Amino acid sequence: MEPLLKNPKYMLKTATLIALAVLLNGNIYAQSADSLLKTMTDSTKIKTLNPTFKSTRIVLSQSTETQKKHDLDMRIRHHFGDIGGEFGSAHTLYGLDVATDLFIGFDYGITDKLTVSIGRSKHNELYNGFIKYKLLEQGGGKNGNIPINITFLAQMGWIAREPIATTEFPSYANRFTYFLQPIFSRKISQRISLQIAPAVLLRKNTTESRDPDNLFSIGFAGRAKLTKRLSFVADYTFVNGLNRPSDLAQKFYNPLGVGLEIETGGHVFSLNFMNSEYISENSFIPDTKKSWKHGGVRFGFTISRNFTLFKSKDKDLQSKIY
Amino acid sequence: MTSKNKVLAILIIAFFTMLCISVKAQSYLSSNVKTSFFSSTPIEDIKAASNKTTAVLIAKTGEFAFLVSMKSFEFEKKLMQEHFNENYIESDKYPTASFKGNIQPNIDWSKDGEYNVVAKGILSVHGVSKPRTIATKISLKNGIATIASAFDVACVDHDIKIPTLVFTKIAKVISVKVNGTLTQKP
Repeated sequence: MEPLLKNPKYMLKTATLIALAVLLNGNIYAQSADSLLKTMTDSTKIKTLNPTFKSTRIVLSQSTETQKKHDLDMRIRHHFGDIGGEFGSAHTLYGLDVATDLFIGFDYGITDKLTVSIGRSKHNELYNGFIKYKLLEQGGGKNGNIPINITFLAQMGWIAREPIATTEFPSYANRFTYFLQPIFSRKISQRISLQIAPAVLLRKNTTESRDPDNLFSIGFAGRAKLTKRLSFVADYTFVNGLNRPSDLAQKFYNPLGVGLEIETGGHVFSLNFMNSEYISENSFIPDTKKSWKHGGVRFGFTISRNFTLFKSKDKDLQSKIY
Repeated sequence: MTSKNKVLAILIIAFFTMLCISVKAQSYLSSNVKTSFFSSTPIEDIKAASNKTTAVLIAKTGEFAFLVSMKSFEFEKKLMQEHFNENYIESDKYPTASFKGNIQPNIDWSKDGEYNVVAKGILSVHGVSKPRTIATKISLKNGIATIASAFDVACVDHDIKIPTLVFTKIAKVISVKVNGTLTQKP
């Protein structure tokens, strides 16, 4: 190499060759399988996040989650009696002898975004139906940069029971209540999700004239994942003192629920404690008469089972349970 | 120029010519290779597939790379798909699976025909990389390479945890199939 480098005539050529070599090497690099792959995969990126909540409900309130397309969710929920106070203690096995409310409902996903549901509660013999629509999904959109989830809930309740007093339902329309709620949530981290949901309940039957027909509320809720399948969940609905006076003759309390949510494949078990006697939003938001302070807290649980109603047409996806 | 230098110069030229050839080497590409998997237990059979696997094969070197986004796998039960992503494969943390390596020995890409080859490389699933040797069939015809491969992935190898509650429903070893056609690009 020595004479080649020392000869100025060849030095130029050598330099040219080295430059060429560098250039060519660069080209080869651009052609390696890995880097070629990288240029191809940019366009096929899927950025949707994993879900913000495990279930369509948190404790008492609804979450921003909707049913998956063509999935039917059967939910059975139970609220027991007061743990302490006048109606609790060992005489009722801390409320377990009592069922303040029972609920069975079916949620069906028409699409991944649109859920319809029917349900029935023991309290008031209330039949309810709702539609829930997911307007925005966190991590969705063209660039995957939508920061929050927004779901809209519209629920109708029909009180089917006999009137307690003949004057209770002056018109049949008084048996109906309508609950409208936009729900906003954000998955803050892998473990923490938070939710805020302002709502209005439209109703005609109130026991006191000062109790407004159109009742506003704001729901706050959150989830903290403890393990992959176990979460701590809580929700609080601020309703008394908003547009409803807090000094009504009947004392009402703001609903607060805490619980554990356990997911085991197609089932979700939810074990909760809350002061609300009732299960449907149309009942528990206006009618929570128990307080956490005076033994009015109760145990409740939900069992939810998901069914996929339609078999996939794609042979590579067809699963089977023996 | 001394004879020594002449030899050197020729060697250098030869080397660059070689490089030039490799630069012009063909590659076979596809972004819709199908990756499917199958979990079988006496209780339940679970299948899932993604037809969004990207694949690159470089004819000259026999180098290949396959990449699939975990979220592109579709299941019959959407809830199962959600659990696959959230509980098992943790796709927020580990969004892709890949297999990168070389075909050994490389085949003659200029001749149409069926080749049974061995793909040696690194299989990366759930953030855990394992060296693997996977038998693959490559059929070459008119600049199209059809690949077909089947192999097993043990959940434990890739640190995919199956809780005892669903132990009977999910197999410890998952059968994976990769099928697709790669088209030649100059």
